[in-house]
Amino acid sequence: MKNAARFAALALNLPLLWAAAHAEPAQPESPQIEPAQVGYSAAGLYNLANAYARQGKAGMAVLNYERASLLSPNDPDIDANLSYVRASSHLPVSSRTTFNRLVRVASPFALSWIGVMGVVIVGVCALAAQLSSRHRRMRRLSVLVGICMIGITVANGIALWPVLHEGVVISPATPVRVSPVPMGDSQFVLPEADTVKITAEHEGFWLIQTRAGRAGWVSRSNVAAVVPRK
Amino acid sequence: MSTRRTQGRWLMAIAGAALVLAAPAVADDPLVYATIQPAQITLGESAKFTITNLGDGTAPITMPVVSGLQFEIVARTRQIEIINGTTLPSSSIVVRVTPQMAGIFTIPGVTPKSQPLVLQVNSLPGSAGAPRPSGPRAPNPPPILAGGAIPKGVHLTDDGSAYVRLSVPKREVYVGESIPVDIEIGMRSGFVSSLNGLPKLTGDNFTLNNLSHQPERNERMIEGQPFVLLTWRSVLSVVKPGTFPLSAAVPLTVKIRTRSRRESALDDQFGDPFWQNLFGASVSKDINVESPPLELKVLELPAEGRPADFHGAIGTFAIESDISPVKAEVGDPVTLRMRVVGSGNFDRVDSTMLDHVEQWKTYPPKSAFNSNDPIGHKGEKVFEQPLVASKPGVQTLPALTFSYFDPHAKRYETARSPPLSVTISPSLADSTQMAPALAARAASGAVDKLAEGLKPDHAASQSGMSSLIPPYLQPRFLALPSLLALAFAGGWVGTRRRRNPAERVAARNRVAWRATKRALAQMEAAARTGNPALFFNSARAAMQQSLAARWQLAPDEVTTAEVQARLSEDEDIQQVFALADESKYSGRDLNSTDFARWMRAVRQRLMAEHTR
Repeated sequence: MKNAARFAALALNLPLLWAAAHAEPAQPESPQIEPAQVGYSAAGLYNLANAYARQGKAGMAVLNYERASLLSPNDPDIDANLSYVRASSHLPVSSRTTFNRLVRVASPFALSWIGVMGVVIVGVCALAAQLSSRHRRMRRLSVLVGICMIGITVANGIALWPVLHEGVVISPATPVRVSPVPMGDSQFVLPEADTVKITAEHEGFWLIQTRAGRAGWVSRSNVAAVVPRK
Repeated sequence: MSTRRTQGRWLMAIAGAALVLAAPAVADDPLVYATIQPAQITLGESAKFTITNLGDGTAPITMPVVSGLQFEIVARTRQIEIINGTTLPSSSIVVRVTPQMAGIFTIPGVTPKSQPLVLQVNSLPGSAGAPRPSGPRAPNPPPILAGGAIPKGVHLTDDGSAYVRLSVPKREVYVGESIPVDIEIGMRSGFVSSLNGLPKLTGDNFTLNNLSHQPERNERMIEGQPFVLLTWRSVLSVVKPGTFPLSAAVPLTVKIRTRSRRESALDDQFGDPFWQNLFGASVSKDINVESPPLELKVLELPAEGRPADFHGAIGTFAIESDISPVKAEVGDPVTLRMRVVGSGNFDRVDSTMLDHVEQWKTYPPKSAFNSNDPIGHKGEKVFEQPLVASKPGVQTLPALTFSYFDPHAKRYETARSPPLSVTISPSLADSTQMAPALAARAASGAVDKLAEGLKPDHAASQSGMSSLIPPYLQPRFLALPSLLALAFAGGWVGTRRRRNPAERVAARNRVAWRATKRALAQMEAAARTGNPALFFNSARAAMQQSLAARWQLAPDEVTTAEVQARLSEDEDIQQVFALADESKYSGRDLNSTDFARWMRAVRQRLMAEHTR
């Protein structure tokens, strides 16, 4: 029983231990983003969002806070600044549901490895059951832990799925058109920093749906997907 | 003779004034407009500024005051016209405008509703800053009501009351070409009573487009008689090749004298046809006045050398192009404009602009025509095409071309515009590359009020993820748990197959024993509740599990017949199977002693099977 608990704890902490081992030392005196930066990091995106917010670009700020929140879902500074910028832009500030808080306990990166560990634990226990009938209770507990690890990864995917299909309006007074062409008639206008659901794409235009359920086409240059698409 | 003619004119003027007073008002609002001719003169020359009032003359007319221009009234005229049966009194004031300096002057409208006029006064040749013309000095403006001889191209009607003159600049044209033409109607004052329609061309081979709504009005002395001149401007086009006669016709109503001049003493006295009209010495007659026929040679456009992008434009054109904005982001629409400037058949000026350009999304262009003259022969046509760049960088758009046929050079020409460059930056939405510049700008102090409530920056790390998509949704990452799951499944199956038969039997016995124990527990529960059907069913199930393990059968295959065949000497087991069937239908009751006996018997059999 004690061994099983140790094993599960090790499995849960492995990705975090790996990340800690590969993390660069903190540089609090130089918070600026390095020019050679490649890829996404929570801190880099957060700092970028702050820079945009200081420039008064609420749309880009919200976009990068959302992206930073994906990588570091439990960072209170990200949540605070995101809510602040949204409120400053006179947009509704939504809070996370309990389910979202539970399944976003760790970053998707860590949860991916946790899911893999869950698969390993369940698989090893299944093999061990074939090879030996000893430590049956420990095996059952390990299988339960492994299934929980896989389950939290799947639940995280379910919780993040809508976020992965969201976009943020990055241009002020973005026209929403009836058709995906620059000359299309404008139905209504989206405020900067508003979040919309992206449902389809056509030749440089996105079919979006607002929280109120209104739909239309916007230019890709006016709305940025939270998760960039190739 | 001269005195008598002057007296006659005075009488005519008095009678005209009386008619003006007697005539009913034909319109509620009088139309007052002004013209200036020519609009461009040289310092030292004068221009003719004419204010015409098409109404009862009660509209307030303000003489314009322009610094640097001197206005001098030289004539006032008043007349009555009948057009399409409507009496139309009109009066004109002819003003000589003499500039005192060079420049461009704007003469304000003579009424609050009229449009201002522009007079361009050039410097004297040879003065500082003035271009020196190579030709002779420009002639002075024509004198007001000047002339006396019949102008060229004018053929008066037999009674000398009217004429129509068609002015065509050339005699050799191409099919589809637009040729500006002037149709001038001269109507002798007092002879023509009404104009019954607009001028038309004779023949079916020509079309007259954009005929001006309001004719230009002038007055002129021809052979000593005052004529009112109405000039329409239009565009002529020809639909098929060949040589065709061309003339213009206008329907008029004229006054015809009913007696000869000699017979009219009054005519002898005053010598003016107005008196004939006044005293009923003439009758009205509708006539169709035609211009002298011209011969127009219409040529087919040559097939040789016709460019692929030729759409039928004939004339003299030039093109200009520009793009705005010159800096944009990926996905932002930019507008490419092409202006086709010149003269010709603008209705056939067309262009697809850029059909397909690498790394650009192109849309069909829209066009708009701005005419520089009332007939739409000169002007510019502007094409606007939205373009969307798909990749960042300095992009060069190819040169635009426009092909047309030049009737003067008699060949096809292709106008080209220079290539245009646009700087396309990555879209903010798709890139984090703006970060350094932005961070630097933020650090330099350009802080928005939005920044006041922000939490501070974090320490940035060098490591970063290549994608924001969670790894568990990336196919490459998903391959890892999938392979692991397959490996474990394969290992589990392999291990299970390699187990020896004794282990398999032992495992099966373990399973059977667990099932037996569950059945015994059910039997005990049934005994407690006094349910014989459940009791014997559970007993039979327990026996089936136990015997199936021994006989290498499935538990369902252990039936009553199988038990009777294999265990004929064991009556207890046979009776358990029989009672299980019976109790299901008979509802047999057992007391606690019976339950305990059967419970003991079954348990002994099961223990014996387990230890066998």
